[in-house]
Amino acid sequence: MRYGMVIDLKRCVGCNACTVICKAENGTPPGILWARVLKLESGDYPARRVSLPVLCMHCQDPPCQKACPTGATVKRPDGIVYVDTAKCVGCRYCMMTCPFQARYFNDAVRGYFPGQGLTPYEVLKYQDHPAGVVTKCHFCKHRVDQGLQPACVANCMAKARYFGDLDDSNSEVSQIIRTRRGYQLHADLGTDPSVYYLPP
Amino acid sequence: MLDRPFDYIGQDLRSTFRPQREWAQRRGLLLIAAFFFSGIGAGGWLFSLFLSWPTGLVWSLATVVVASGAAHLAFLGRPERSWRVLLRPQTSWISRGVLGIVFFAVSGVLYLLTGAPAWADAGPGGRLLLTLSAFGAVWLLVYKGFVFAYAKGIPFWNTAMLPALFFVTGLRGGSALVLLLAVVAPEGPDLYPLEIAKLWVAVSFGALLAFYLWATSESCVAARRSVRELLGGRVSVAFYLGVLAVGLLLPLAWGAVGLFRAQPEWAWAVVSFSSLIGDFYATYAVSKAGVYRPLAGDFRVAPKTSQR
Repeated sequence: MRYGMVIDLKRCVGCNACTVICKAENGTPPGILWARVLKLESGDYPARRVSLPVLCMHCQDPPCQKACPTGATVKRPDGIVYVDTAKCVGCRYCMMTCPFQARYFNDAVRGYFPGQGLTPYEVLKYQDHPAGVVTKCHFCKHRVDQGLQPACVANCMAKARYFGDLDDSNSEVSQIIRTRRGYQLHADLGTDPSVYYLPP
Repeated sequence: MLDRPFDYIGQDLRSTFRPQREWAQRRGLLLIAAFFFSGIGAGGWLFSLFLSWPTGLVWSLATVVVASGAAHLAFLGRPERSWRVLLRPQTSWISRGVLGIVFFAVSGVLYLLTGAPAWADAGPGGRLLLTLSAFGAVWLLVYKGFVFAYAKGIPFWNTAMLPALFFVTGLRGGSALVLLLAVVAPEGPDLYPLEIAKLWVAVSFGALLAFYLWATSESCVAARRSVRELLGGRVSVAFYLGVLAVGLLLPLAWGAVGLFRAQPEWAWAVVSFSSLIGDFYATYAVSKAGVYRPLAGDFRVAPKTSQR
């Protein structure tokens, strides 16, 4: 079992719904974007404007896990990589070693409405976001453990994201990768990301 | 100055050349200070051993344990859990470095407790402690380079040259620290060998720095961008003023003059201090110039035959 995601760049319209739903689902503090969408242009004239959604790639050989001096970065048997915030000391070395810029340091408890305190929603969600530690996408493991898809997959209005078992050659994600020439970002670094992209 | 959480989002949404911030800005400066203090302390220990000068040994050890230790702790987001960083030396260079600090501190304190004898006067135990502490000091000089070099996300750092660069930087800072202490202390060692050593190390540092910049600028587009940040971008003031002018050219020029004409002791103190400033800025500039490998670098356009 190895959970993975496929993002179809031809379908993605760059609406940032994944960014917003990730925040709503996980309650990440201001300035922390576990899922974000980069905009770029590519190709010959007329240049094509393409959106590139990025998140933690849940590498099979994660350099962040090796770099972590405390064992706070954990890889589950199903391939999901997450941060155990009870062990993290906030050295931020993992942020330097991640080639996908997927990690954020939560330096202080901040609300979305400065000077007005935390909302009840923030009080609830910030229990998972203590200050002084590094955070990152965990493929919505609380949802996956219930048999649901990650929030960004379930709420993508263009249906540009697929989620499933990469080890199962008959799964939807494996078949799409095979037939649509899916590729990984920075494959040359040898980290074997679990997020694949389909060319636009 | 970017200081609010939303101010960084523009950088985070860049498809190319996002700068690393956490090890160079705000509390990240504490880590730069920690690396700086551990480097000059370890270098100072080696030069003090060479000169058999207990005062230099004590101050060098204090620089590593007190100044570097405090800066390391203050940098951490959760310093109360700092003991945990000792747990993973099998994979993490941070763990290896912190264990090196502990090893150096223990062997150094024990060596001082034996009276810090010179190699010729020491018994087997003293020689063992001297050797172990020297090994610990060398480890402290190089481990920072390995910490940076392991960062796959930042090509400017991801090179085997950084351990050598940090080794020479620490040696230069150590010689400057001992020279400064020798000037200030009432009964310091002879300054002349230190001046020669410091001049030699400074020349080595300059040559190695130039080679490092040349080699990384040839490696990949992100590393080249980092070199541009140093030479003409957002880190250029720190590089030209701190690293080159104050940290390298002034000590080199004064040191060269000092070879031919005796200089007053206060002049050596000024040169040492400027060298220390240069050492701090060298670590700062290398750290701050780091930019991440662009995520869009692997971007592929579908072949025209692609259907869908």
